[in-house]
Amino acid sequence: MDVRKPIATNGGYWLPKFGDLWKTQIEALKAQFGKAIEEVRMPPDYPTDVPIVYVRKDEIVPVLNYLKTDSKMDYGFLADLTATDEQKEPRFEVVYNLFSHSSLCRIRVKVRVADGDEVPTAISVWEGANWAEREVYDMFGVKFRGHPDLRRILMDIRWVGHPLRKDYPLKGYQVFADAEPVDPTLLD
Amino acid sequence: MSKDGSVGFLTTRLDTIVNWGRKNAIWPLPFGTSCCGIEMMATLCSDYDMSRFGAEVVRFSPRQSDLLIVAGIINLKMAPVLKTVYDQMSDPKFVMSFGACASSGGIFNVYSVLQGIDTMIPVDVYVPGCPPAPEGVLHALLRLQDMVAKGETHSQRALAAKRNSGKVLRTTSL
Amino acid sequence: MQNSTTDKLNKGLPESYSIEHDPDDLWGDSRIIVNIGPTHPAMHGALRMVAKLNGETIEKSYCEYGYTHRAKEKLGENRTYHNFIVYTDRLNYCSALINNVVYSMSVERLLGVEVPERCVWIRMICCELARVIDHLICIGINAVDLGAFSFFLYGFHQREEAYTLIEKLSGARLTTSYTRIGGLAGDAPEGFESELKAWVAKTRKVIDEMDSLLTGNKIWKKRTVGVGVFNKEQCLKFSHSGPNARAAGIDLDLRRDQPCMFYKDVEFDVPVSQNGDVFDRYLIRIAEIRQSLNILSQIADKIKKGPIWSEDKRVRIPDKDVVYNTMEGLIHHFKFFMTGFSVPEGEAYTQFEAANGELGFYIVSKGSPRSHRMRIRGPSFWHYQSLSTMVQGEKIADMVAALGSINIIAGELDR
Repeated sequence: MDVRKPIATNGGYWLPKFGDLWKTQIEALKAQFGKAIEEVRMPPDYPTDVPIVYVRKDEIVPVLNYLKTDSKMDYGFLADLTATDEQKEPRFEVVYNLFSHSSLCRIRVKVRVADGDEVPTAISVWEGANWAEREVYDMFGVKFRGHPDLRRILMDIRWVGHPLRKDYPLKGYQVFADAEPVDPTLLD
Repeated sequence: MSKDGSVGFLTTRLDTIVNWGRKNAIWPLPFGTSCCGIEMMATLCSDYDMSRFGAEVVRFSPRQSDLLIVAGIINLKMAPVLKTVYDQMSDPKFVMSFGACASSGGIFNVYSVLQGIDTMIPVDVYVPGCPPAPEGVLHALLRLQDMVAKGETHSQRALAAKRNSGKVLRTTSL
Repeated sequence: MQNSTTDKLNKGLPESYSIEHDPDDLWGDSRIIVNIGPTHPAMHGALRMVAKLNGETIEKSYCEYGYTHRAKEKLGENRTYHNFIVYTDRLNYCSALINNVVYSMSVERLLGVEVPERCVWIRMICCELARVIDHLICIGINAVDLGAFSFFLYGFHQREEAYTLIEKLSGARLTTSYTRIGGLAGDAPEGFESELKAWVAKTRKVIDEMDSLLTGNKIWKKRTVGVGVFNKEQCLKFSHSGPNARAAGIDLDLRRDQPCMFYKDVEFDVPVSQNGDVFDRYLIRIAEIRQSLNILSQIADKIKKGPIWSEDKRVRIPDKDVVYNTMEGLIHHFKFFMTGFSVPEGEAYTQFEAANGELGFYIVSKGSPRSHRMRIRGPSFWHYQSLSTMVQGEKIADMVAALGSINIIAGELDR
């Protein structure tokens, strides 16, 4: 193996198995949504393990819904929902890692979002996206439009700033004198 | 204690007897939050069996226990809770800081972690390790028992200081 | 109805805490808000639940976590790939070895490094050993929460025996840090296979004993059958994986369906149940322990002697002999530990069937020795989220059973 030009990712492992399936799926996705798909990065050309589909921010919920329910796609399992701080404009990328229980392949959907902008919430597609979105809000400050309960989750509710942003210091302690109070309004 | 402030024969003897009792009947409150909690369970289980040293009755209520074992990470969200639990315990109370995270923050010098519980509450015994092996915990318990017998723990010293100042007449409740 | 007593009680309390007490209807409308945790014996580690109770029935509740947040994702961006191995131990600390293996695997995939055969077999031993001890502690604690203490002691003794094996591999009991990127910290000692076989044989007996002690027990059944039911659709909605999903009828095991390492070469069954209640989760875990023991005995037969390190010079830690005796070796050693090795640009989400479910590392690299983003997908996060839904309308005591059965590990939940 040439060490100077390594195989970047495990796309090499899955490409022979799912390569054709991914191509047909992405063609179908493009035919269905057209301009809502901003960009597609496929494994051999870009160092990634599974295809990355960049979707325009406002159309993310229909795209996710299509990926979940359509019989050709059947990505019924939200494996992960997170974000990255790209340190350029637009600043954040919200990442949805999807997994299909029937064809056992994975796909990654990304949404580019600027600082202070809102992404439509995916709770209508997967109920389990609730806490993951709260965590993205807590850690990065990306807001989700239509989220029923967008509070901080890992940090104290009185915390200032968003720890996983690249400009937050690693040792930025914030001390509170008393414990986080019970919020009875959540139980009405 | 006589009127001039000197400690009489009966009181010191009584203290020794009471401390002997305290030493051999420590009721721990396990404040286990993470990895160290598992090792604490190992210490309490049949293989290492902490009850051999009189620390058998694990109480989860702070009002019923006298040894607070802080096992694991205390982060800044948890710190006020720990302080509340410590304040709820009745005197004399002893604190064991179990593991690197509780003692100093360990490998986690980050925004969310309290850098050692001794910045908040007085600690009597530190157990090093990440997490400490049960043998280390048993050693710490024996060391604590020595301290209790001699009246050297933070809480006992504070009580003694109070008593010698003459504000409190009797601190040993029988 | 308000009277002078309740007025006195309500004094100084916020509006929503008010105690409405009707003297004619003692139990009719007496709703109270109960805060459980974060330091409660039933809330494993540091979880918190606030529940509104009607009598003993949970009407509505919400869960909170973050009381053991240690910023491991932020640390992943500030430590080199080699340094981060120790932090992976503290994710799911009941089965630290699996975390080590999955993390090393994910960085190896980004690098394109292949590890030799013996290394893979030892890693498989690590995974299955860790799975057994994780399940032992899960069912043990679940039983303790419901009052069956001796059952727990049986399991924990066997866990101690497994610690002896793990100490022989890695030198540590709980937080192992055993794997390295491209290899292992050390080879398995001489005679390890036979010791492993002896442990497997003994554990089989213990599991049979534990099974006969609790599975048919009337009290245990009454406390667990039909409690905390979560069906297949709900499991998919909340992204359940692992034993919890298989208890609800989702026939998926990443070891079988997305095989990595040598899982194709060993035979094992994937136990699946249909009801999705606490009892089924317990049964699935018992069955999985048996399957893991089968796999372990097969590996003990198949494992052969050989190298444990990849030949790739980028990730290989220089031999001590070279370090102490040559200048180049010393420089290599210094550069390796101080600067670390660069990982080429790219991103990958590597997943594996951990003891609790799908454990994934989503690593984005920008070509430097530190990752750009280190996301850890802990299964406990998705399981704990569903607890409120799971216990809605059930008794408060059943919440304890349900929480114990989904095996929440605070380290992997909070990260």
